[in-house]
Amino acid sequence: MKDRMLIFAIVTTIIGFMVAVQFKTTNEPVVRDTRDILQLRQDLRIEKERQQELNQEIEKQIVLLSQLKQRDNIEGAMVDAINDLKERAGLTSISGEGIILEIKPMYTDYGFVPQTVPAHLLRFLINELNIHNAQEIAIGNQRIISTSAIRDVNNVTHVNARRIPNVPLKVYVLANDAENLHHEMIVSESVEYFAIENLSLTSTPINFITLPEYEQPLRVRHLQPIKEES
Amino acid sequence: MWLPFVGLLIGLLLGFWTEFRIPDVYSNYLSIAVLAALDTLFGGIRAHLQNTFEEKVFVTGFFSNILLAAGLAFLGVHLGVDLYLAAIFAFGVRLFNNIAVIRRILLSKWTASKDSESEN
Repeated sequence: MKDRMLIFAIVTTIIGFMVAVQFKTTNEPVVRDTRDILQLRQDLRIEKERQQELNQEIEKQIVLLSQLKQRDNIEGAMVDAINDLKERAGLTSISGEGIILEIKPMYTDYGFVPQTVPAHLLRFLINELNIHNAQEIAIGNQRIISTSAIRDVNNVTHVNARRIPNVPLKVYVLANDAENLHHEMIVSESVEYFAIENLSLTSTPINFITLPEYEQPLRVRHLQPIKEES
Repeated sequence: MWLPFVGLLIGLLLGFWTEFRIPDVYSNYLSIAVLAALDTLFGGIRAHLQNTFEEKVFVTGFFSNILLAAGLAFLGVHLGVDLYLAAIFAFGVRLFNNIAVIRRILLSKWTASKDSESEN
């Protein structure tokens, strides 16, 4: 009888062990870190940059807080903060040095003459402008903000859900170093891609341009404030 | 009587405490092996209650069932046929049968003991 129980105990021990191992394996599968030194360094650099950004943000908030504490008119400081945020979100018109890109048909006497600039070309152009440190961009009179959509609706390109004018179309770009951006755009890949669609892209540097504000109401979706844990 | 439960507990703790893990690919085999082990265990309990328990049969059945089930699943993977379903089906049916028999035996024992108590 005692032997029998011992056998049962051994068997249940083995079963328990197998169940536990299976449970562990299915719940938290082994994820191996296969990054090499280069990738690790890159990740480290990205994290360091992020830390720096966060530190800067914290510093800014501390300055704002001290301003709020010091000043008698708190309203003034808050209005300043709101204006600053509005400016960063693209809700105010903004001026400075930059370049104007003009898009027009390359040849009008033969071949297909496009009426509107295809959406994928505009996206490509904006990506390239951002690569070359453009500060603010406006297509026609539509300001590009972080949630701007460039879509093709019934063969007409829409930016911010508004129809953009036919060619010739002007793209206004604000940059800290307009001269450099101008040179980058002259030799950019965009020029070639636009040429495939029979469109020419010419860049002109300008000392002072004003970009229009984003005029539609900003809708924030899929974002929620984080509740502070107390 | 409590020894098997203590064994189960020790096994579980051992499994959770040791950082022993198997690759994801083999988790299928292990799950089938667990099923086979459970089937043998309940078969053993039934035999014990029916007084037909034999140690050698039980121990050899335990290991051979596990190996057979895992081997069948392995063969199925290599043949492209889901043979592990056969193992799951066979063991599942037997598991239910065994548990049903165990329940009936325990139930009849319980009613018998109750009757004898009321007679006294």
